Amino acid sequence: MMGMKFGFATLLLVAGILRAQNPPIAPLPSQNAGTVYICPMDPDVRSSNPGKCARCGMSLVAGLPDPVEYHLHLDVTPKPVKPGQPANLTFEIHDPWKERQVTKFQIVHEKLFHMFVVSQDLQVFLHNHPTLGSDGDFHYEYVFPKSGLYRILGDFYPDGATPQLIAKSVIVPGPAPKPVSFTRDYSPKDTENMTVELVTDPPQPISGFKTQMYFRVKPGEGLEKYLDAWGHMLAASEDLIDMIHEHPFIADGGPQIQFNVVFPRAKSYRVWVQFQRKGVVNTARFDVPVKALGQ
Amino acid sequence: MKRSLFFTCVVMMTMCAAAQAHDVITTPVTWDREISRIFYSRCVACHRDGGAAFSLMEYKDAFPWRTAIKEEVLERRMPPWGAVKGFGDFRNDQALTPEQLELLTSWSQGGSPEGEDKDLPPKDKLNEMMQESAWFHDGPGDGPDAAERHHSAAVAVSGDVKLVKPLTLDGLLPKSVPAGSFQIIAEFPDGRVEPLLWLDDYKEQFAHPFLLRSPVELPAGTVISGIPPGATIFLLPEEKK
Repeated sequence: MMGMKFGFATLLLVAGILRAQNPPIAPLPSQNAGTVYICPMDPDVRSSNPGKCARCGMSLVAGLPDPVEYHLHLDVTPKPVKPGQPANLTFEIHDPWKERQVTKFQIVHEKLFHMFVVSQDLQVFLHNHPTLGSDGDFHYEYVFPKSGLYRILGDFYPDGATPQLIAKSVIVPGPAPKPVSFTRDYSPKDTENMTVELVTDPPQPISGFKTQMYFRVKPGEGLEKYLDAWGHMLAASEDLIDMIHEHPFIADGGPQIQFNVVFPRAKSYRVWVQFQRKGVVNTARFDVPVKALGQ
Repeated sequence: MKRSLFFTCVVMMTMCAAAQAHDVITTPVTWDREISRIFYSRCVACHRDGGAAFSLMEYKDAFPWRTAIKEEVLERRMPPWGAVKGFGDFRNDQALTPEQLELLTSWSQGGSPEGEDKDLPPKDKLNEMMQESAWFHDGPGDGPDAAERHHSAAVAVSGDVKLVKPLTLDGLLPKSVPAGSFQIIAEFPDGRVEPLLWLDDYKEQFAHPFLLRSPVELPAGTVISGIPPGATIFLLPEEKK
């Protein structure tokens, strides 16, 4: 009987959350007749008219090709790669149909290729941009600071396709870092030329449900777009399985920047956000434990 | 007890009906445009009439499962690929991409709209997508014996092993694997270390091979490590033509 009461209470809670997730809004463009213009980067942003994505600034396009996963090959030389020594990262991209090399790309957020590097212990974070060589490959020289596993996320947009977000793994030989374990850290962060605060709604993020993340920056003036967006976020789960790349859901150059994130699993996530103020890029890091519903 | 069960069922049915009646559409993602394409390329090879699992071929089939679908895909329990994307590169990869996960989540949370008929791909195209799935003809659930059937020279290994002769590796097939998450790597004689396969919540009931996009040359002296005690993994050599 006790179990049944608990089950009933859980059902009511689920129903309440589902209702809370579904506030009434105006009819969406997709429900209207005619062409729908879609943002290639944020496919949930749509309009009945051509224009720019309000979230990331990319041009909306009429319809989109079917989302197909391209093949990203990453080669690291010299072999073996050594910690503390320069390594050449070469990214080669092939189409999924005939494995032909792809050499034409669309610019996304001012760049042809965005690369995120996260180390196994989540201490290392890098967001940078390999350059397109005459061989059609993207190249980047990087010094892996320590041994262990690195997850490298490639974000690019082959011409005539859909934007791609593909993770690769590199293992730098040597002792593996200690297993990571971190607790909630929402404390304000003093970065290059600002302080970044974080508030989430709900205060305790639940896996599988939307979390609104409000970043408040001080001083509130002087904020600029960085790579064509008011902010960039990368969230990585403690086990490095989930890598989430987001741009602000609501931002206007004011001191509050809102990201909406669905954390997939009940894990702890390390979140890096980047904002630009007066020509300086600021990177702040927060730790967000995520629980399962009812946990 | 029977009365309690009946009461619980009535409450659940009433709530489901109420939820359906009050679902407000807050997403532009629709079954006809995005979700059907994902399902036919990743789910319907098994979830179809006459397939290994209940059908998800039509909107009316999928709608009642919308919440469970979101949970299953975010937890990576479905599709039952059982490996982490981007650790090894596989030509029969059935895991969902980040974009597909985002679309499915948005659709599930946003009222799961059907959309408009004009956006639904023609039946022929949907069938083509289904048949192109790596699992349409072969697994998952084909069983560990698939290795022996398809790769006559499959090599069973347990624990860390050092190769005594070179091997051109075409893929791996877990035979018996404990629950959990573990990374199988190749440590080459020259000191480099390459990721091969990161199993995560792999289920034997959905046993299937992981076929590399390009064969990996493993020289003699290479150590295959990361296979936990008690587990057996088949190394699948490239088949000579």
